[in-house]
Amino acid sequence: MAVPEAQARFGQSVKGLLSEKVGSCSGDVIALTRQVLKGSRSQELLGQAARNMVLQEDAILHSEDSLRKMSIITTHLQYQQEAIQKNVEHSRNLQDQLRHSLK
Amino acid sequence: MAASEGGSSAADIAVIPAQRLESASGVMNADAQEEASELESSETAPRPIAPTSKKPGNNNGGVETAEEATEPAEPDINELCRDMFEKMAIFLQGELTATCEDYKLLENMNKLTSLKYMEMKDISINISRNLQDLNQKYASLQPYLDQINQIEEQVTALEQAAYKLDTYSKKLEAKFKKLEKR
Repeated sequence: MAVPEAQARFGQSVKGLLSEKVGSCSGDVIALTRQVLKGSRSQELLGQAARNMVLQEDAILHSEDSLRKMSIITTHLQYQQEAIQKNVEHSRNLQDQLRHSLK
Repeated sequence: MAASEGGSSAADIAVIPAQRLESASGVMNADAQEEASELESSETAPRPIAPTSKKPGNNNGGVETAEEATEPAEPDINELCRDMFEKMAIFLQGELTATCEDYKLLENMNKLTSLKYMEMKDISINISRNLQDLNQKYASLQPYLDQINQIEEQVTALEQAAYKLDTYSKKLEAKFKKLEKR
């Protein structure tokens, strides 16, 4: 290993060798960073998570819409119950009147 | 080949034969002394920018060696180096920022979804409370509803009885008419 390196360095200036070394080191650092990021698979997992959430959003909106409709129906039921209660109060009076008329 | 052609005055280790060494030794010693004195005096002063070619100095075993001639550093090399490392740092930061941005996106999406779910939770709490009240009021109305059911059953029975009575009275009328004709 040392011999070919020595042969490669023969005839080159120190400055050239230094710049080559700096370039190779910086390339190694960049490659290492990319490999670390690729190895963590963060891009894949986060992208998949974002896609799944987008798919779920439709179901969430539908559920919210259903809940709002249910609340409206509940309000209408309350109105109907109040009307029935009023009529029941009236029916009590009617019963008393009927009893009196039958006597 | 190419390196030697373009290398100019750098990185050449010259080996001078011993014959030349003897003639140059006297000159070398005087020059070395001059250089040493110059070095002492010029430690604080800025050195002139000129190619420094060190003169051969060592004389070991009859073989004279010379140190390589080096080119002077460019005046803006420090600035270039600083620029290079700054840009490399920016590049690496950018590589890592991409992942951070993905995490931030997911965080925002999760926050919005949690807000939606909180709204839905409030709505469902209201619905459950209202339905509980409705059930209680329905339970209070239950006796009246039972009375209504009883009344309906009785009315249905009355209606049946009325139909039967009507049928019986019609039969009776028919018989009476038949007897009257006789």
